[in-house]
Amino acid sequence: MEHELTWGLPVVLYLFLAGLGAGAVTVSASVLLRSGDYHGGSFFKLARYGALIGPIPVILGTCLIIFELGRWDRALNLFKVINLSPMSIGSWLLVLFICFSLLYALVFLPSFLPRFDWLTRRFAPIMHVLSWINVPLGIGVAVYTGILLGAMPSRPLWNSPILALLFLVSALSTGIAMVILAQTLFHRKDPTVHTERRIKTRREATLLRPGRRIYEIGYLLTASDALLISTELMVIFLFVMFAHLTVGNLKYAMAIILPGGEMAAMFWVWVVLVGLLIPVLMEMFYVIPKVVYRREFRIHEGSEILISIAVLVGGFMLRYIIVIAGQITGPLGV
Amino acid sequence: MNDNMAEMQNSDNTTDQKPPTKCCDNSKSAESGRCCKSAQAPLINDQEQQSPARRSFLSALIAAAATFTAAVSTAPLMRAGAAVSENSGANGTGKRKQYGMVIDVRRCIGCHACTVACKSEFDVPVGENRSWVEYIEKGVYPNVSRSFLPRLCNHCSEPPCVYVCPTNATYKRAQDGIVVVDQGLCIGCKYCLQACPYDARFLNPITGWADKCDFCAHRVGKGLDPSCVSTCVGGARIFGDLGDLDSEISKLIAKNRVTVLRREMGTFPNVYYIAADHTDELDARRPEVKTVKVITNRRHKERR
Repeated sequence: MEHELTWGLPVVLYLFLAGLGAGAVTVSASVLLRSGDYHGGSFFKLARYGALIGPIPVILGTCLIIFELGRWDRALNLFKVINLSPMSIGSWLLVLFICFSLLYALVFLPSFLPRFDWLTRRFAPIMHVLSWINVPLGIGVAVYTGILLGAMPSRPLWNSPILALLFLVSALSTGIAMVILAQTLFHRKDPTVHTERRIKTRREATLLRPGRRIYEIGYLLTASDALLISTELMVIFLFVMFAHLTVGNLKYAMAIILPGGEMAAMFWVWVVLVGLLIPVLMEMFYVIPKVVYRREFRIHEGSEILISIAVLVGGFMLRYIIVIAGQITGPLGV
Repeated sequence: MNDNMAEMQNSDNTTDQKPPTKCCDNSKSAESGRCCKSAQAPLINDQEQQSPARRSFLSALIAAAATFTAAVSTAPLMRAGAAVSENSGANGTGKRKQYGMVIDVRRCIGCHACTVACKSEFDVPVGENRSWVEYIEKGVYPNVSRSFLPRLCNHCSEPPCVYVCPTNATYKRAQDGIVVVDQGLCIGCKYCLQACPYDARFLNPITGWADKCDFCAHRVGKGLDPSCVSTCVGGARIFGDLGDLDSEISKLIAKNRVTVLRREMGTFPNVYYIAADHTDELDARRPEVKTVKVITNRRHKERR
C-alpha cells in the first residue's frame, strides 16, 4: 500500500519526548509535595532526578518539531495569537512548562554542593510553589499531545476522547521509567547497605547478592508504575473495544491494529507485550511480596533497567503506531 | 436541501403576505433573535408576579444567576453558533455572500482541462493539485461504468481546517465565504492537512506553507469566473453566489438533486454535485459492485 504521511518521525518523537519529560517532572513534583521532603532526604533525591531530567526531552522534542516546520523562525507566529486550536493552547502550555520546569530544575542544583546547603534550605518554599505549578502544567502538556491528535473527525482513529487519557497515563508511566532508569544508573553505590544486615536464611542470602537493592523509594516508583501500566492496559482495552463495537469510520480505522490488520503485529508485540505486559508482570513480581507479605522491597538493578527500557520502548511505539495508523486510515466513502 | 430552498424561495416571493404573529423570521439576522428573547422575558416576569413575593425574588435571583452562568459559559459557543448561522444562512437568506460551485458530473468528460488551467493559473508545483479529477471504475464486465469526479476545496461553512489552525493563518473570508490561507502567518505545521476530510490541502514544496484552492479569489474579485470554470469544455462547473437566489447556481441547486461529499463530516460543503457517483473502493465489499477502482490522478494514489 502506498501512503503519504503528513506527520512523520519528528512528530512521533516529539509526542513521545514531550510526554516523557512532562511525566518525569509531574512525578518528581508530586513526590516532593507528597513527602514534604525539601532537603536531602531520599524523596528529595528522587524528585531531583525527575526535575533535572524532565526538561531535557521536552526541549529536545520541541526543537525537533520546530525544525520540522518550513522555517523555524515562523514558529514565533504561534505566539501572536491564542485561539481554541489545540495546537495554539498546547504551544502556550509548552512554553510555560519549559520555563517553569527549567526553574524547577535550577532550584535543585545547589543541593549537589554541601557548601550551598543554606541556599537549598532557602529554596524550599520556592520548590514548594514550583511543584504546585509544575504538576498541572505537566499533566496539561501530557494531555494536550493526545487532544492535538483527537481534534479532527477526518482522522477517525484519533478522534476519540480516550486517546488523551491514554497518552497521559503513558506519559506518566514513561516518566517514572525514566526516573527509575536514571536513579539506577547514577545512584551512588553504597556498600554498607548489604553488610550491615545479618543474613538469616538462604533465601535472604540469594536476595542480597550484589546488585540487589533494598529501598523504599524503589518500591514507591515500581508500585506506582505497575498501577499506571495496569490503568494503561485498561484504557487500551476500552479504546480498542469501543472502536471495534461501533459501526462506521472508527471501526474501519481500528481494524488496522486488530488481528489481520497492517500494523497489528507491531501493536500487540511492541506496545502491549513489550511495553506493558512484560514490565507490569516483572513489577508485580517485585511489588507483591511487599504488599501481601509485608517483606522488604528488594529489586535487582538489572531488572530495573530492563523494566524501564521496556516501558520507554513501549511508550515510543505507542505514539509511533497511533500516529502512523491514524494517518493511513481515513473516513469511509466519499 | 431542495425542499428547504424551495420553501425559502416561496417565502421570499410572498413577503407582503407575511403573517404578523411570526416574530423570528429566517430573513432577519441576529437582531430579530434578540428581539425574541426580550419579548419572552417580560412574559416570564408576569408569571412570576403571581407567586409570593419572596419566592419570586428567590427564583428571580436563581434565574439571574443561571442566566449569568449560562451566558458566561456558553459565550464562546454562542459565538461559534452565530458564525454557523451566518454561514449557513448565507445559503438561503440572500443576506450574506457565499461563493460556491455546482459540478454537473453529467457534463464532465474527464479531460483534466480544469486541472491544467488551475496548474497554470497558480503555478502549482509538480505532484500537487489544487483541483483534480478522479476516475471511478466499477462493476464486472460487461456491466461496467466509469465516472468522473472533479474535486477541489469545498470552502465549507464549518471548515475543520480553520478550527485547528493555531495561528489564524487559514480563515473563512467574511465578504465572500472563501476559505483562504494567509501565507505570511502559516507556520507549515500541517495540522490543517490532517484536519481536512477532503484532502484538499497540501504543503507547497516551494514555499513550505499550506496551500489549496481559493476559488481564484484574485479573478473572482474582478468579476471573472475561476479559471477551472471558464476553461471547462463541457460547462460542468458552475460558479456563483449561493446567497443570491437569482444566481444560476442557486437555481440549479433548487431544481436538481444535489449531493455534497462526505456529508456526515458535518462540514457543510459549498461545492455541490449533480449526479456524482459516490462509490468508494470500500464499496467493492458489496456483492453487486464487486470491483471498484478509484484513480485519483494525484501523486498519492489513494483516497484518504
